[in-house]
Amino acid sequence: MFELTWYDGRRRVRGSIALSVGLSALAAMVIWVYPSFEAEVDLDQLLAAYPDPILQVMGVQTMTSLGGFLSFELYTFGWVIMLGLYLAYSTAGTIADDVDRGRMDVLLSMPLSRRRLVAERFAAIAVPILGANLLPPVVVVVGARLIDHPLAVADVLAVHVLSIPYLFACAGIGLLASVVFDRAAIAQRVALGVTFVLFLSESLLTGTDAETIGAIAPMRYYDPNAVLLEGRYDLAGAGILVAMTLAFLVASQLWFGRTDIH
Amino acid sequence: MAAIELEGLTKDYGEVRANDGVTFAVERGEVFGYLGPNGAGKTTTIRTVLGLLSPTAGTIRLLGRDVTDEAQLLEAKRRLGYLPDDPAFDETATGREILDLHASLKGDERSAELLALFDPPLDREIREYSRGNVQKLGLVTTFMHDPDLVILDEPTGGLDPLLQQRFNEFVRAERNAEVTVFFSSHILSEVRKLCDRVGIIRDGRLVTVEPVESLLDRSGKFVRLHADEPIPIRSLEVDGVHGLESNGGAGPSDGAEYVFTFTGDINALLAAIREYRLVDLSIEEAPLEDVFMRFYGGDATDSPAATEQAAAGTDRGGSGDV
Repeated sequence: MFELTWYDGRRRVRGSIALSVGLSALAAMVIWVYPSFEAEVDLDQLLAAYPDPILQVMGVQTMTSLGGFLSFELYTFGWVIMLGLYLAYSTAGTIADDVDRGRMDVLLSMPLSRRRLVAERFAAIAVPILGANLLPPVVVVVGARLIDHPLAVADVLAVHVLSIPYLFACAGIGLLASVVFDRAAIAQRVALGVTFVLFLSESLLTGTDAETIGAIAPMRYYDPNAVLLEGRYDLAGAGILVAMTLAFLVASQLWFGRTDIH
Repeated sequence: MAAIELEGLTKDYGEVRANDGVTFAVERGEVFGYLGPNGAGKTTTIRTVLGLLSPTAGTIRLLGRDVTDEAQLLEAKRRLGYLPDDPAFDETATGREILDLHASLKGDERSAELLALFDPPLDREIREYSRGNVQKLGLVTTFMHDPDLVILDEPTGGLDPLLQQRFNEFVRAERNAEVTVFFSSHILSEVRKLCDRVGIIRDGRLVTVEPVESLLDRSGKFVRLHADEPIPIRSLEVDGVHGLESNGGAGPSDGAEYVFTFTGDINALLAAIREYRLVDLSIEEAPLEDVFMRFYGGDATDSPAATEQAAAGTDRGGSGDV
């Protein structure tokens, strides 16, 4: 078991380190600019200048604390949007690319069931998901101390830990696209599009009559603001994300199990 | 129990019926050639046998297992090697990493021996491999776990003549070791050198399954007759003479030469020409190309133009199969 996960996982280590370093640089930059931002700009006035939809999309609640600032500058932008889209996109390439490039014939000639192949490939996505969350929390905690705006270590850890089921759910969207479309380029475009539309539907529809539509969006169940501003950890939301991930995985296995491989 | 049993295999793509009621069995320990031009449906049969495509109708048993039942298919795959038409491996991996993955998933009994024989550049990344090197790596991964049954789709494409020779010797040795080999080809000389039996497919339908010798018998002999003096054509009108050509009277010392395909009783032919003085006589097996053409292009032996046309049709590259 897990031979394919082990193989794939090792091949993703280098990219994941790069991802972790890049996100740490983003975190360091956001923390570094905060003190001058806070001193030079009337942040409440700045907030008022933005139209409401933008604030809503970016998940901006307040800029007057480092937690609020990080919540949207780093976590909404870096984690919810960028990493979410990246994982959907990257996972969409896994199965579809094997089929597209004719590698699936060789893989499936081995004693490996289709369900297991899908599950093992998906499990290897844990490497970039965990990798992305390895270095940045350290940078955030240490950086916050250095600019004298210390954050609760538990909150920083929680915002990262809770992002893991969220990112798996985004990857699940990619996985489903990857088995439904046998052209990698199409699967990846569809996964990006769907993830982005889900993000918009959740952020724009919140507070409207159509709010329930956003219930299918993974973004509803991961809220950096709640963690960093209120210290509230949405464990039920995390549970829903885990269930969503499993649903995407099982649906992908069922689909791939009965499809013709061209 | 046969190694591969097909019963009424049909694969319908909607517009194209790539396989239509294909029925045959590959016995254990034989080398079976699956012959047909590009687009005849060879690859579809193979990929359906492997469970990559689901049959529209019919049953398929691989090493006694029903391939539409995944648990049974997995059992069969443990003892199966498969080399696709155009094998592809992870481009960013080295050959060695690919071999390690395959070894971890299906075991490794004999890769060292195979590497000595086919020798792909293991330390290079696959993206730097030539088509021939990919094929060599594919041959190693196909045989490394010492399978009972091997399915090869156009296996010698991309191999240079020296390696083709090595491959042929290797396949013969495998047969002697009781390995069942099923391979598809549109190259007739390859099939003739290696196969015990041949199945011919055309437009998705199986035309015939026969031992190679009986195909050759039916195709007759290629006769070249060199006589001292011209032989009256009447004397050569023996049952079974086809496509008689002569270049009599080329010169007094040259005598006359006659060339034809002969499918009748060889004794009748010898009796008919007994009274003439011969300079030379050769009786050879007809080229398998001629046999092959019978199933595609009408009576090729009587019509050189048809032969040429059909032969051109079979010599195209190997990428157009459905």
